[in-house]
Amino acid sequence: MTSQVIENILQALVAGLLAGAIYGLMCVGLGLIFGVMRVINFAQGDFMMLGMYAAYYLFLSAGIQTTFGNVLGPYVAILLSGPLLFLFGFWIHKLLISRVTGQRTAQLDGEGHFAQLILTLGVALVLQNGGLIVFGSVLASIRTPLSSSAWEVGPLWNDLVSIFINKARGIAAIISIAAMIGLAALITRTRMGKALRAAADNPVAATYMGIDIDKSHRVAFGLGAAVTAVAGGLLATNYPFHPYIGIDYVIVMYAGVVLGGMGSITGAFWGGMTIGLVQQLSTLVLPTQLQNAAIFVVFLLIIFLRPQGFFGRMVERT
Amino acid sequence: MLKLDGICAGYSVVPVLKDVSLTVEAGQFVAIVGPNGAGKTTLFKTISGIVQPSAGAILFEGVDLAHIPAAKRPHLGIAHVPEGRQVFPSLSVMENLEMGAFTDAGRRAWKQNLERIFALMPVLAERRDQFAGTLSGGEQQMVAIGRGLASAPKLLMLDEPSMGLAPAIADFIFEKLIEIRAETKLTILLVEQRVAEALESADRGYVLEAGRVVLEGNNATLRADDRIRQAYLGM
Ligand SMILES: Nc1ncnc2c1ncn2[C@@H]1O[C@H](COP(=O)(O)OP(=O)(O)OP(=O)(O)O)[C@@H](O)[C@H]1O
Ligand SMILES: [Mg+2]
Repeated sequence: MTSQVIENILQALVAGLLAGAIYGLMCVGLGLIFGVMRVINFAQGDFMMLGMYAAYYLFLSAGIQTTFGNVLGPYVAILLSGPLLFLFGFWIHKLLISRVTGQRTAQLDGEGHFAQLILTLGVALVLQNGGLIVFGSVLASIRTPLSSSAWEVGPLWNDLVSIFINKARGIAAIISIAAMIGLAALITRTRMGKALRAAADNPVAATYMGIDIDKSHRVAFGLGAAVTAVAGGLLATNYPFHPYIGIDYVIVMYAGVVLGGMGSITGAFWGGMTIGLVQQLSTLVLPTQLQNAAIFVVFLLIIFLRPQGFFGRMVERT
Repeated sequence: MLKLDGICAGYSVVPVLKDVSLTVEAGQFVAIVGPNGAGKTTLFKTISGIVQPSAGAILFEGVDLAHIPAAKRPHLGIAHVPEGRQVFPSLSVMENLEMGAFTDAGRRAWKQNLERIFALMPVLAERRDQFAGTLSGGEQQMVAIGRGLASAPKLLMLDEPSMGLAPAIADFIFEKLIEIRAETKLTILLVEQRVAEALESADRGYVLEAGRVVLEGNNATLRADDRIRQAYLGM
């Protein structure tokens, strides 16, 4: 093998890890909602889109650019978009989703899953078209000077191989991983996190403990929206976006969540990571247009071999 | 402490409870017995607020529960150890107990309650970091009871804690209930298939058949009743 081939492989691997970290965080948002509520949320991609625009406008018009400058500013805006989308998710749940989930679904056909599908699909369409009206169809992007500079790792192996890590992507990956660790701590260590997991395990028994299921769902829905929104903002420092971008990513998110094992938060992260890796590594052998095809071939293979996903446990749920 | 007055309740198409009235005084141990499908579990779910009554009233310490949502009732001091254990399978034993202590009262008394629970059922201390879903049936029942105790309840409701357990384990669970009772004078409402044991330790009993209370009375009266002796005690 020539050093050029090694360099290409390593470069694709790094690109995969960086993209994978962001996809992982994105998937965790969806995984949290699915894990706690068992609701298939089609609007998750559009929550991400809203997160991107929220960060964009916060950066440009809320004085963040002038206060924090061009390097730090985008990240401040992105982190602030989290709480904003939390409130949005919380409110959407209270207003709409709660009508077809939680306590009252027991009496509905298919535990309300049909109603949930239609409702979240409807929310998705409204957000996409609403986004088009409000934000317009022009590509937007959160520009940071970091996206045009890179860290060089190497040269390695007798000065033959060097890898470049785009600074904007590197920082996005670091923030993603930090956010993931923070969220995992929240879910596993805090009283609220444990209550969310209890509500996911057995909603009726959780009610016997005095845990308000609707409230738990609302928090999970808001948190899930916030996490995916932050991932979206980080993605937007590297890629331009538009009001319909959610459609592209909601599929990636579902693939990631299923890969990781429905209901496992850590699993969702690794699922997203796998997708990032497959996507980037496939560019070594396939034309870019086939990236998504590669993702789904690998997806099908893994699901064929391990239907419960990486972290899925075949635990019965009462 | 707890008073049900003319409760009718059921599921969307099936009426189950018909005009059920019962009273549990503070400090009493009350047992409810009856055949499968009599509506014992439905009665507990109605008290917990999971099933809405279509008629009648439930008073807990004089408070009408009609407009108190299910998730608020444990905070008043009602602990429900449900039929079939219903532990949180993906939470550890310790986390299950912590969820039991989700109420304010449970949180305040967490340390001494935990000590008491572990002293009562040492196996829970040994298994504290194990996922509850991987425990044996008997151990899960102990988690469920421990979870109930952890809420520092005023009223502990237990729905067939011996269900599906080997006789020796069921005996053990029963002994524990008697220990808890002797130690704390906790008010207990118990549904049990093991009628002899239940009626022996209870102060008062109710017999529920096809959704109606067909017999009630204190321990001695019930055990002397011919119908009980024939139908449940096999005498
Ligand atoms: N979720 C439900 N939907 C419809 N009917 C139900 C439901 N749960 C119970 N029932 C019916 O209500 C009746 C009473 O059931 P319940 O579980 O209260 O009886 P039980 O006395 O607890 O019996 P067991 O001793 O077997 O536990 C039964 O006829 C049962 O089929
Ligand atoms: Mg029952």
